[in-house]
Amino acid sequence: MNSLDPRVNRLPAVGQPGQVEPRAPLDQFGTFEVFVQAKEGKPFQHEGIVHAPNLEMAFVLAKEAFTRRFTCVSLYVADTRHVYVSAMTEGNTAAWDFINTVADKPGEKISYEIYLLPKRGKQHQHAGTVKAATPEEAMSEAKKQFGSKMVYNVWVIRTSDIRFTSPEEKELWLTLPEKKFRDASDYKGGDKLKEFLERSKIQS
Amino acid sequence: MYGGGNTFEGIKTDSLAQEDPVKLAEFEARIDRGEKIEPTDWMPQLYRKQLIRMIEQHAHSEIIGALPEGTWITRAPGFKRKLSLMAKVQDEVGHAQLLYSAAETLGKSREQMIHDLITGKSKYSNIFNYPAFTWADSCFISWLVDAGAIVNQLANAKGSYGPYCRALDRICAEESFHLKYGHHCVIYLAAGTEKQRQMFQDAINRWWKPMMHFFGPSDKISAHTEVLMRWKVKMASNDDMRNQFLDMYVPKIWELGFTIPDPNLKKNPDTGRWEYTEPDWEEFKRVINGDGPCNKERLEVRRVAEERGRWVREALKKPGMAYVTPLA
Repeated sequence: MNSLDPRVNRLPAVGQPGQVEPRAPLDQFGTFEVFVQAKEGKPFQHEGIVHAPNLEMAFVLAKEAFTRRFTCVSLYVADTRHVYVSAMTEGNTAAWDFINTVADKPGEKISYEIYLLPKRGKQHQHAGTVKAATPEEAMSEAKKQFGSKMVYNVWVIRTSDIRFTSPEEKELWLTLPEKKFRDASDYKGGDKLKEFLERSKIQS
Repeated sequence: MYGGGNTFEGIKTDSLAQEDPVKLAEFEARIDRGEKIEPTDWMPQLYRKQLIRMIEQHAHSEIIGALPEGTWITRAPGFKRKLSLMAKVQDEVGHAQLLYSAAETLGKSREQMIHDLITGKSKYSNIFNYPAFTWADSCFISWLVDAGAIVNQLANAKGSYGPYCRALDRICAEESFHLKYGHHCVIYLAAGTEKQRQMFQDAINRWWKPMMHFFGPSDKISAHTEVLMRWKVKMASNDDMRNQFLDMYVPKIWELGFTIPDPNLKKNPDTGRWEYTEPDWEEFKRVINGDGPCNKERLEVRRVAEERGRWVREALKKPGMAYVTPLA
């Protein structure tokens, strides 16, 4: 290739231009849902997804994709397939209306995290933790605990399926305020511009 | 942020004939009320198709747009400019990831989109088929191409599809630094030596034509988009966005003592609209269809990266791994 970019000129010859081996549909990494806590005391909020080969890489990629510049004190990720989702509703219909109340059964209970969508068009926020034997029971428990709130969608994730930020990892975000070159405030050109305009006026 | 001038497929008059009229009416009423459409909501096939196309083009524009600017990272003047440009290019690639995710919620997988990009099936912003010869070209992109994209994206952020709007909100919030950075670079060239000034003037002369193409074909000849405007997929007409860009940035370019290579460019005081030489839409079509100065290089760089990374992806693959459509 004859490029203006010396790095492009150094690219090795691989395959044929324009030819990419077609892949089987959906032959790709899975997706992981990313939740971010912007400040201490604020609830974790769903921010989006990353594609990753595993939970650990998803955590690293989520840090890069979602917390390069927005404030963050903690984040976590969970495999999209591990999120149990209620019906999506609208108007005056709450998502709770479609969640069955499950009778309390004996047996081992584990914890599940609950996420609610209080307004359509916004993002899911963490509401709390419940103990249940199955995801259905966790939905039902969520209804008991949070059912008085109007919500349009409910997500449930088994706590043990989540890759959390450890206390030591929290320092990942400590350097954020030092990176002034990422801030608009680091690019004040006003004085330079003013001086230039005054100089131009004198010359003309 | 680089998206702009999306091209839409021509819409056939019978394209809504198969849709359930009751559901269609509910869908349109929801949009009229200003509510967002979410991935699990019912939507007409045409809405889904055109949105995928638009968001995908935007995502491709972000990663392809990172190439002409990325070229200048190692040669940016000084450590500070290198850091800034590196952070900016990283942002743009991050924006592509957010946008691909939004498009995926509509049912097209990211790998399929990347495949369609590399094989030339789907398009990206035409402006990146032109080369960045000098540092000043990189400054032109950072300031004015980003400015153009912001005009486009601020409009689209008020659109009807929830995941796309949320991605754009994040993207727009990250953009303020890009625009300031670009303007800062240009002020320093403008206030510099005669050679620096000439360098930026040459960049304007080279980039003005693609910049006028940026917002897409004139409303007089562009595909019929009435239904897309009604559904809040397309939020402003190409000419309106072009006019808004000229209104905001031509005075700033003139203020720095540069000229714009269009003798007919002026604001009509009666209509409040800018008048300009009609851009060459035949050239626009020719370049977008593959015959521009850099089309081959841009796609080849992406293709080689994809091929060279293949073994890493293969090595990381595990049995039981499965892709499902993301949630929101």
